[in-house]
Amino acid sequence: MPDAAMPASAPAAPTVSSHGQRRLATPERVLLALLVGELIWFSLAGTNFLTLDNGLEILRASTEVGLLALALTPVILTGGIDLSCGALLGLSAVVFGAIWRDAGQSITVAAAAAIGVGLVGGAINAWMVAGFGRPALIVTLGTASLFRGLAEGLTGGAVNYSGFPAAFLHLGQGRVLGLPTQAWVLIVAVALIAVLVHAATIGRGLRAIGYAPEGARFAGIPVGRRLALVYLLSGGAAGVAGLVYAARLGQARADAGTGFELSAITAVVLGGTSIFGGRGSVWGTILGLVALGVLTNGLRLADQPAELAGVLTGILLVVAIGVGARRGRT
Amino acid sequence: MNRPLWVALAWAALLALVAAVAPAFFDPVNVRDLIVRASPLLIVASGMTIVILARQIDISVGSQFAICGVVAGLLAREGVPMPLVAVGTMLAGAGLGAINGVLVARLGLPAIVVTLATLVAWREGLRFATEGVWVQDLPGTFQWFGLGQDIGRWLIGLGAGAVWAIVALVLGWTPAGRAVYATGSDAEVARLLGVRPTWVIGGSFVVMGALTGLAALLSAVQFIDVQANAGIGLELSVIAAVIVGGTAVSGGRGSLTGTLAGVALLATVGPALTFLGAPVAWERALQGAIILIAVSAEGFSRVRGVKERHA
Amino acid sequence: MTRRTIGMGLALGLGLLTLGAAGACRGGGSATPDGALTVAMMPKNKGNPYFVSCRQGAEEAAQQLGVKLLWDGPTETDPAKQNDVVEAWITRGVQAIAVSVENREAMSTVLRKARGKGIKVVTWDADADPDARDAFVNQATPAGIADVLLGHASRLAGPAGGEIGIITGSLTAANQNSWIAEMRKLLPTKYPNLTIVDIRPSDDDRKKAFDETQTLLRVHPKVKVVMAIASPAVPGAAEAVKQSGRKDVGVTGLGLPNASKPYLLDGVLDSAVLWNTKDLGYLTVQVATALAKGTPIAGTTQFPGGRLGQLEVRGDNIILGTPFTFTKANVGGFDF
Repeated sequence: MPDAAMPASAPAAPTVSSHGQRRLATPERVLLALLVGELIWFSLAGTNFLTLDNGLEILRASTEVGLLALALTPVILTGGIDLSCGALLGLSAVVFGAIWRDAGQSITVAAAAAIGVGLVGGAINAWMVAGFGRPALIVTLGTASLFRGLAEGLTGGAVNYSGFPAAFLHLGQGRVLGLPTQAWVLIVAVALIAVLVHAATIGRGLRAIGYAPEGARFAGIPVGRRLALVYLLSGGAAGVAGLVYAARLGQARADAGTGFELSAITAVVLGGTSIFGGRGSVWGTILGLVALGVLTNGLRLADQPAELAGVLTGILLVVAIGVGARRGRT
Repeated sequence: MNRPLWVALAWAALLALVAAVAPAFFDPVNVRDLIVRASPLLIVASGMTIVILARQIDISVGSQFAICGVVAGLLAREGVPMPLVAVGTMLAGAGLGAINGVLVARLGLPAIVVTLATLVAWREGLRFATEGVWVQDLPGTFQWFGLGQDIGRWLIGLGAGAVWAIVALVLGWTPAGRAVYATGSDAEVARLLGVRPTWVIGGSFVVMGALTGLAALLSAVQFIDVQANAGIGLELSVIAAVIVGGTAVSGGRGSLTGTLAGVALLATVGPALTFLGAPVAWERALQGAIILIAVSAEGFSRVRGVKERHA
Repeated sequence: MTRRTIGMGLALGLGLLTLGAAGACRGGGSATPDGALTVAMMPKNKGNPYFVSCRQGAEEAAQQLGVKLLWDGPTETDPAKQNDVVEAWITRGVQAIAVSVENREAMSTVLRKARGKGIKVVTWDADADPDARDAFVNQATPAGIADVLLGHASRLAGPAGGEIGIITGSLTAANQNSWIAEMRKLLPTKYPNLTIVDIRPSDDDRKKAFDETQTLLRVHPKVKVVMAIASPAVPGAAEAVKQSGRKDVGVTGLGLPNASKPYLLDGVLDSAVLWNTKDLGYLTVQVATALAKGTPIAGTTQFPGGRLGQLEVRGDNIILGTPFTFTKANVGGFDF
């Protein structure tokens, strides 16, 4: 049984309407407007911004955070959070490298091990949050240190796995049918999570858990199982993201994925998913992801320093949730 | 078993282990250094306790810490006398806290998202402004407030103790403190009882900011210049200490005693592991494990209840 | 319209205005003529004072040569971000890219791609794979740096030798790890009476370096030398040794003269090894510009480095010089 996993400020009444999920709700509309604004601005201020190549590169660079953000959406829908997904990405990447290079296994076996590590990590989170009912915030804070620490311990910090075969690197650096290879992984993930969150009964159950955990239990929703599922999924996504990372950069080191969880949370919240749970959509997350990716990329192409992206992300976040909160009150 | 007691026991067990293996840990000089090192953490954790009790959270304290340190350095470099530097630094912190407070309390935005936004915006903004350059060429009165390291250390340690005691007193024995607990338990009921949640919540962020500013100052005066990017990761250590110490994330439950226990445990773990000879690459994993154990320990007595209700 | 809608609209407008203002302020920055070359230069991380000083030299050279300098990079040491920045530069289209490589493997891939698009690639401070760049501006070899550092440590420990404690950057930092590896190679043969008794990370944070040194002195009371091999770590370690009052412990390391000066002057810090980081930045822009203009490096033995005079070229490495040791006597003559 989940504790109220997220601290609440003023009570906002999220609307749990399936109608609002299918067409774009107001926060997503604002985000879309912001995104269009970004696109216009950067096509004027940036060099070579509005090109297909650049768009595909934005897609390629956003895949790992995208996978984390997609899996984070159902987690946050239930009113929970997962601060450990970045660290789990790093651990999976390092395990992948170790199994391939040090244990001499094939890429396939190593990749399976990486995803397995992700699932085990997710299971630890699930066990503590769903099984013990501990607050997700502090549990995933602890597991974040644990996973990152395991990655550091296993490698001594110093080891950097690289030299992966070209066939594997193609996952992160190549193109399939015109799109970056990892984009296809992302598309599959979008489909999966979209079905989970929007089409299946499970999705309504998740929202119910986020909106009113006690009520959900009394309504017969197997809360423990649902929560376990979403944290497991988050872990699995981190494992897959770890593989994509290793393929894109051609290396795996203990510090892989540092800070990714914050970017993922930003994308999810930007997209209109309420941090208290009960309200949100996959489309919002995708919009949030794109908005962030475009912002960072556009600023670079406009010769602006990286710090500006951070400042603007913060402002963007406040504006976006401001609209969301306003909507919640009406 | 209540959490602070459990944490204190865990701490005692750790100390017992260290006493057996590496008694040099208890050398008075080492203990003194640990206290000085933990002091800023205790001050920020005291502020965070108030915020979390009010059912909020503030993950931007690391960025506030960095900004306030730089402010302290800049003020000192301009020749402002140290007492005024202290006031200025705390005001800067309070100002930052007020921004969080307005967004959360007045506009009703979720605390975790607001402080995530300010965490990123402020740290990047600070980097943008300082371009990574440390604040140097400070007057001699900056380090240890010009009082020398012995008095300086006493000042820092006692300062932290005083802050902790004052916050504990206010929380436990004044109407303001009760208002915080009430707001954190149930804001609506609190409102009906005459408490004004908006002011309580806003105020808790302002106090958090001011205390962070103080902590930043006490940390900065141990050196002769000020880093441009201090306090990275501070928020996570502080939140871990407060929550491990028993203050509930859902608000309304917890105490400064717990925070003291949590700070003591978490501030000791790193050095203790070093004394025990744990390989440095494994320290973070061990710290994470300790947090998880501390958090799950209380769960053992509740699991049965949960399982029964699931049936 | 509700008050809140107006408020949100205002915030939105403010945000967009900031974007616009930022663009206007920085976009029309230095007055370089149209058609000027653009050199894009990236440090490992923008916040580290070491790289801040490199930038000063780079800006100087850019102004002298009339090229547009883009200086950007991760604000934290982040393997993935460096790649993203280079990708953006490739899209934007620059004539030369100069990178201090945090991750050899990761960066080599994207740098090869840049070269494939006709962009000249120079690495500086830390190298990539040889086929991923046109030239490497080398300030000193890892083996050379390790030797100088151990030389100072040996001198400080005295003829009887002793224990060394190392304060490094982060555990994953490639440069520091290669110096440590070289030191381990040199110990048995050249410095047999020195032992490295512990290596503590500082994560490039001065306070953490301070805390770790304090603990180190207690856990290993027989340590004779503390070696801080990251520039924010030197003042941290020196301050810790100073506050401990342990006059029997010597401190050396790799750090910037300005941060080291107070400790060099009062004797706590014995020596700080480095090279002229401003010159490193300066030379890098010189090399990048020369390459962009079509001047070959390979096959030559000398490179005209502007105010630095003629510099040695070894293969595709341009050598800045040998590691320089800042001491109490000479530190006053430097300002970076």
